[in-house]
Amino acid sequence: MKKTNLLLLCTYCLLLLGCDQGVVTNAEAVISADSLISAVAGSTISDSGYKVGDTATDFKLKNVDGKMVSMADYKDAKGFIVTFTCNTCPYAVAYEDRIIALHNKYAPKGYPVIAINPNDVNESWKDSYLHMQQRAKRKNFPFPYLHDETQEIARAYGATRTPHLYIVQKQQDGKLKVAYIGTIDDNYREPQQVQKKYAEAALDELIANKPVSQATTKAIGCTIKWRES
Amino acid sequence: MVATLLCFTCFYAQAQQVKVIKFDELQKLRKSNTDTLYVVNFWATWCGPCIKELPYFEAVNKQYKDQPVRVVLVSMDAVQDLKKVKAFMQKRKLASDVWLLNETDANTWIDKLEPKWSGAIPATMLFNNKRKQYYFVEKELKANELQALIKRFKP
Repeated sequence: MKKTNLLLLCTYCLLLLGCDQGVVTNAEAVISADSLISAVAGSTISDSGYKVGDTATDFKLKNVDGKMVSMADYKDAKGFIVTFTCNTCPYAVAYEDRIIALHNKYAPKGYPVIAINPNDVNESWKDSYLHMQQRAKRKNFPFPYLHDETQEIARAYGATRTPHLYIVQKQQDGKLKVAYIGTIDDNYREPQQVQKKYAEAALDELIANKPVSQATTKAIGCTIKWRES
Repeated sequence: MVATLLCFTCFYAQAQQVKVIKFDELQKLRKSNTDTLYVVNFWATWCGPCIKELPYFEAVNKQYKDQPVRVVLVSMDAVQDLKKVKAFMQKRKLASDVWLLNETDANTWIDKLEPKWSGAIPATMLFNNKRKQYYFVEKELKANELQALIKRFKP
């Protein structure tokens, strides 16, 4: 009899403990739900990154030919079309030929393209350095295609998607001023249907020493594949 | 014969259509003044991270189907790729509302909808205008993150 009572007591204790744990777990779940939301909110939008008029940082990143490339290497350039792009985003791929055309048109006018792939290899294996080399060779890129392995440059610029253009203009003191942030044109799907060539309009104004009338534009694009922190 | 017909009816009753819209319609939804939590997800068939998180939105749609929570999946695919979106929808048996935003130049509408949005997808907005609730996020959501957001905002 005593034994049975003890057993019952034990079971009761265990049940209580179990319930207790259940409550604790729920409380934790509530807390973690809140912290999750703040974590989500915290990473919503980076207000960091460049705005038009800011001074852009130079970089030293590895090109597909194995050499390191910086904007400082281009002594005669008037500026650059810094283009965050990648191998894998269909949006970026749709713009490849137009990025090549931009370079071919504007490099002779002092504004060459420098393409940068910021995607994390673990998140997107087809954006590996080897795949970049293959892509550059296949498309015969006339511009450097750099690997932003640490994603430091994409973060500094505030790039969020591919493709994402930053047109910078070299100032008399050598500083690189951000003159345009945005997209190439208004139609990713049908190049022949393009009505507004946003990037070209900005470049033409820069070259003519006019203020850029539409200095920021937006487009849909693939999110940059950030490394899991 | 009757059974076959019935089956067909069932199938077509279940199969959702892709609603092709212009920006006005999206703006109308954004401003709708009902006591409903709208969960609007921007995705595309070509977007890997979007496809990864789609099942979480589908789960929410199913889980809250008897509550004032409405999931709308707004595809950023080009209207020329409508067939692809329809095929994708049937293959994945998507039960949430699927819209396709037929606007070529995102620069004309993104800032009107959400100035903080850079244009990268996936992106998601939750709102209940009756309760003056609004939330926007530009990243791929995990299942538990989405669930936490729904729990926080659902009426």
